Parts: sequence; structure tokens; C-alpha cells
Amino acid sequence: MSRLDCEQALDHLQDYLKRELTSELVVEVRIHLERCRDCAGHARFEESFLLMLETSARGETCPKEVRARILAALRAEARGS
Amino acid sequence: MAEPSAPGRSFDQEALPHLDTLYRVALRLTADPTLAEDLVQDTMLKAYRSWRQYQPGTNARGWLLTILRNTFINDYRRRKHEPVAMDLEAVEPHALYRSIQETDPEGTFFSQIVDAKVLEAIDALPPEFREVLALSDIEGLRYGEIAEALKIPVGTVKSRLFRARRQLQARLYAHAVEMGYIKPRETAP
Repeated sequence: MSRLDCEQALDHLQDYLKRELTSELVVEVRIHLERCRDCAGHARFEESFLLMLETSARGETCPKEVRARILAALRAEARGS
Repeated sequence: MAEPSAPGRSFDQEALPHLDTLYRVALRLTADPTLAEDLVQDTMLKAYRSWRQYQPGTNARGWLLTILRNTFINDYRRRKHEPVAMDLEAVEPHALYRSIQETDPEGTFFSQIVDAKVLEAIDALPPEFREVLALSDIEGLRYGEIAEALKIPVGTVKSRLFRARRQLQARLYAHAVEMGYIKPRETAP
């Protein structure tokens, strides 16, 4: 398999970080990142971005009163059917 | 042959743990807390009524998200105004990183942006973009799960995600410059 150039490696970068690449491609991207400082830097940048996204909604949970309202609606439905 | 599962205990056990996910995705789809609450409630009631169609042991989260999405498309989409989509298709795929390579190569500015601003920027994306982004990058669904829930090919999931992330990065970059988290890029003469 031919080695990836920078453009190809960058195109796969996000899918690589999300662990969505085939094992073959994972190896290719990893080899490229080990050899290319530029792309390795870019990978850290994308990682920061994805990490920020993962944690951005940590404070958003279904409010208690909404949960209670939904449970009450489900119970009413159960009694009605 | 398993008995068709009656709603009740099994529904509570399988569906209720996903309430927070449904609520967050509903927030992204509607960009309106009141509509999101109604959407989650409608989704749960519909799921409850069609619980017999759910195959025990399969992906309950994906099943619920499909119902949420169909309900949104059928009953909610017309009730709200869509934000004007920012056209960033002209932006080169990796231009943002190159522009901050010198000042903040590790992207530390991302961690300075408060959660509320990140969510606001996500909610300003076109709907089909914020949907895949929320499912993948916030809720952690695999690309294959998203494809199944949205009934679109995995390739479409990937390309939407790529463009969604690019647009979001551009918005957050603009915000970070505005807030002074990073220096603006030098404009060429």
C-alpha cells in the first residue's frame, strides 16, 4: 500500500481520532503522524476540538420537572390503555 | 420464542436511561428548550405505544432517536425558524488550522470557550449538520449507528460530519478572536 501524503492523512484525521477507520488505514495514518510534525500538530488541534465537543453538553440533562412530567404522562397512558 | 414485551417495567428499564440523550438531541434539533421538552415527551409516548415493535436486545437508543427524529420532522420542523446558514463551503478544509498554527497550534483556545458558547455555535449550524454532530461528537454514537437512525448511508454521515466540524471550527475561531483568546490571523496585504 502506498503511503499517505499530508493531504490524504489530514482528510482521514477526524475519522482516525473517532476510531472509525479500517485497521489498514489506522496504521497508515499512524505512520504518517509519526513521521510528520506538521500533521501531528494538526492531530493535537483536532483532538482538542473533539474533546471540547465531548464535554460541551455535560451540564445539559433532562430537567427534573420535565422527567417527572414525562413519567406522569407515561403512567396516565398505561392506565388508559 | 420470546413473549412480545409488554410496556411497563421493560420500557422503563430500556428507554428511561436515554432520557438525557433524547433531551440533548431534542435541544439541538429544535434549538428551543420548550419545544425540546414537548418533543421528548411526544417521543417517549410514541415509543411507549409502539414498544411491542422494539426488538429486545437491539439498540434502544438508536430506536428512540429514530422516533425522536421522525416526530421532529413531521410535527416540529415547521414550528420554528431556521437560523440562516453560514456559507462556509468556500473555506478550504484545513485552512483554520494553518491560520492558527503559529499562535495556538494545540488548539488550547477550544478549552477556553465556555460550554454555552459551544452549544450556541452548534445550534447555529444547518439542521442536518448539527444533528450528525450532536449524535457523533456529543452523544458518542458510532457512524454506523447514526446511519441507521437517520436512514442515510455511512458515507453521507462522514461527509456531513466533516463539513459540520469545519463550519463549527470557523465559528468558534471567530468567537475566540472576538473574546481575545487568540490573536487574529494576519491578513495578507
